[in-house]
Amino acid sequence: MLDSLLAFGGLVLLRDSVECEGRSLLKALIKKSALRGEQIHVLGCEVSEEEFREGFGSDVNNRLVYHDLFKDPLNWLKPGEAVPEGPLGTLRALCRRTDPGPVTIALDSLSWLLFRLPCVTLCKTLHALSQPNVSPGANSLVEQVRVLGLLHEELHGPGPMGALNTLAHTEVTVSGKMGQTAASILYRRPQQRATYQTWWFSVLPDFSLDLHEKLPLYSELHPDPHTIQVDPTTDLTFNLHLSEKEREARDSLTLPFQFSSEKQQALLRRGPGQTTSHIFYEPDAFDDVDQEDPDDDLDI
Amino acid sequence: MAAAATCGAGVLSSGCVASTAGRSSTSSFQRRTKASGADGGGPRLLSIAGTRPSVRNGQLLVSTGLPALDQLLGGGLAVGTVLLIEEDKYNIYSPLLFKYFLAEGIVNGHTLLVASAKEKPADILQELPAPLLDDNGKKELEDIHNSKTPEPDVSMKIAWRYQLLPKMQVGPVSSSRFGHYYDVSKRIPQELLGSSKWHGFFLPEHITSDLKGESCSLSGDYMKLLQFIQNIIYTEGFDGSNPQKKQKNILRIGIQNFGSPLWGDDICCTENSDNSHRLTKFLYVLRGLLRTSLSACIITMPTHLIQNKAITSRVRNLSDTVVGLESFIGSEKETNPLYKDYHGLIHIRKIPRLNNLTCDESDVKDLAFKLKRKLFTIEADSSALATIWALGDLLR
Repeated sequence: MLDSLLAFGGLVLLRDSVECEGRSLLKALIKKSALRGEQIHVLGCEVSEEEFREGFGSDVNNRLVYHDLFKDPLNWLKPGEAVPEGPLGTLRALCRRTDPGPVTIALDSLSWLLFRLPCVTLCKTLHALSQPNVSPGANSLVEQVRVLGLLHEELHGPGPMGALNTLAHTEVTVSGKMGQTAASILYRRPQQRATYQTWWFSVLPDFSLDLHEKLPLYSELHPDPHTIQVDPTTDLTFNLHLSEKEREARDSLTLPFQFSSEKQQALLRRGPGQTTSHIFYEPDAFDDVDQEDPDDDLDI
Repeated sequence: MAAAATCGAGVLSSGCVASTAGRSSTSSFQRRTKASGADGGGPRLLSIAGTRPSVRNGQLLVSTGLPALDQLLGGGLAVGTVLLIEEDKYNIYSPLLFKYFLAEGIVNGHTLLVASAKEKPADILQELPAPLLDDNGKKELEDIHNSKTPEPDVSMKIAWRYQLLPKMQVGPVSSSRFGHYYDVSKRIPQELLGSSKWHGFFLPEHITSDLKGESCSLSGDYMKLLQFIQNIIYTEGFDGSNPQKKQKNILRIGIQNFGSPLWGDDICCTENSDNSHRLTKFLYVLRGLLRTSLSACIITMPTHLIQNKAITSRVRNLSDTVVGLESFIGSEKETNPLYKDYHGLIHIRKIPRLNNLTCDESDVKDLAFKLKRKLFTIEADSSALATIWALGDLLR
C-alpha cells in the first residue's frame, strides 16, 4: 500500500479525524521514502521536533530536514529581523530549493497552515510546491516532488476541503473501527480514471505497516440486489421466438417484389418479340357494339 | 430546359439544379447559393472554414468537437457565445470536453487562445486527441452502431434496387466537414500542432510575485486575462477593426478551471466572499467582447465547489450555454445497476435563445456519457427502460 501511495508525485492528502489519527501513517510514509533514498523536508507545526523524530532510526533521521515552526511560530525569539518569515516564507523557500534528486515534503499539518494563511494563497503555494522541478543540469530529468499533507477533517468547512481535494492527486481518509484502522484511498491521476481502494492496516512502533487485508473495491461491496431476471415474453399470447425450421422457412420465402430467378424466367418465357397478347373476338349475332357509344346496350 | 443546359458541365450557377452526372453525391438537388456580388440583396454568407449557419435562424455555428454534443446544443455552438462546462467532482471528464473543443479548432485552422492557472498551455496542447482519418472514422462509427445493424454485409433482400447505387463518398479529414471524430488514446500529430496558431495565458507567468503584497495580486488576475483577450482580438482583427485582414477566421478561447483557488478567487473556499463580484464582472465583460468579434469561448468551472449558490446561478445566467457533468465515481450511483453501462450523466442546463423566441431543445432529457478507450459518447440513458422493468418486478 505504501508503494502505491508513493509511486507518483503530486499532493497526497492524509485526512484524519479525532477518532483515528493519521500522523503515524504519515511517519510510516516518511520512513518508507527515506529508505528509498529520497530527501525529506518536514515542516513541523503541531508537535515538537523531538516528538516527531521519536521512533525513527538514525538512517531516517539523517535524511530528515526539519523546519521547525512549532517552537516559535510568530518569530518572537529573533526580534531583530526586519521581515518575519513565517510559514509562508518557509514554504516559498521550499519551492525554490535546488537539491537534485526526488524530494518528499511532509506538511504537518495542513490544518495549522490553513488557519494562518488565506486559503487561496495556500492553494497556490501548494500547487507551486508540487510542480516537478526541472533541474537545469546536464540531464534534463524531471524530478518528482511528493507533498504529503496531514489534514484534520473536522476542523474545516466544505469550502477549503473541496479546494484542497481538487489539488490533490491522492486522497487518503483514515478511519478507525474497533482497534483496526482503515484507509480509503482515491487515486486521481490526470489522464487516467479515478480508482478507489480500501486497506485495513495497523502501524507498528517502528513505523512499518502491517496490512491485514484488502477490502474489495467500492463497487463490489454492494452486490446486485436485482439478481432475478424478469423475462417479459413468458405470458404472451403470441410467439416471439422462431425455431430453426421456422427461420429457414421464412428465409426461403420469396417476397412479392423480389426479382428472383423464377420471375425472370416467367418474364423470359414470353420471348423477346412477343410482348403483346392478342384477343380475337368474333362478334355474335346478338352483339350490337356501337363504336361511339360503348354503353349503348346497357339496360338503364 | 434551358437552365439544365447551362449547368451541363456540372458548374453551379445561381438558381440552377445540377444533375448527378459527374458528381458522386446521392442527391440530385443542390443548395441554391447566391453568386458573389451578382445579386444585390441579401446578406452574404461568411464562408469561414469550420462554420456553418444554423438551420433555424441562420446563426453562424462552430462545432464543439463532439458531434453528439453539437446535436444536443441545436447544431453547434454559436459564434460569439460562451459555453460553460460545470466540472464533475474529480475533474476527470471536463478536461476531455475542453480538449475536444481545442482540437476541433486546430483541425479547422482556427486560432486558439488557451488560458489556465494549473497547467502550461503548451502542455495542454500536447495532450489534445488525434483526429480520426476517414476510413478509421467510418470504422469507429460502425463499431458504435454495431448493435443496430446486425448484418451489414448481406445483400439487401427487399430494397435490392438500391444495391446498384454508388455509396456516398466521404472525403478525407478536411475543414469542409463540420464536426470531426477524435481518438482519445492518441495524441495529436506534431505537424498539425506546428501549423496551428495559438496564444497561451499561463497565470503564474503574468502575476508579479512578491512576498509582501499577497493581497494585491489577488485582485488583478481576471483583469489581466481580460486585457490579454482584448489585445489578441484587436491585434488579430477578429472584431473587424483591422482592415488589412481579408481572410476571416474564428478565435476559439478556452479557459480552464475558472474560479478555482488557483485563479486567485476564494469563492470556492468561503461562503461570504468579499470579492464575489469579480467573477461575474469578468463573465459580463467577456460576453461583450465575444459578441462583437468572431470568437467562441469554452470555460470549465468547478461549480460544485462554489459555496454560495447565488454565485452559481449568477454565473449560469451570464453564460449562454451551460452543460453540467456528473460522474458516478465515488457516489452511490456507481453501484446502481441502472447506470452500470455509463460513466456519468450530462445535464444540459441552458441553451441560448439568440435572435429567437424559442430554443432548439432536444426531446431526450436523460443523457448519459461513457468514456470508451478511444471515444467519448453521449447517449440517451437507456436506464429509463430498465427502470420500467425494475418497477414491474417490484409490483409483482
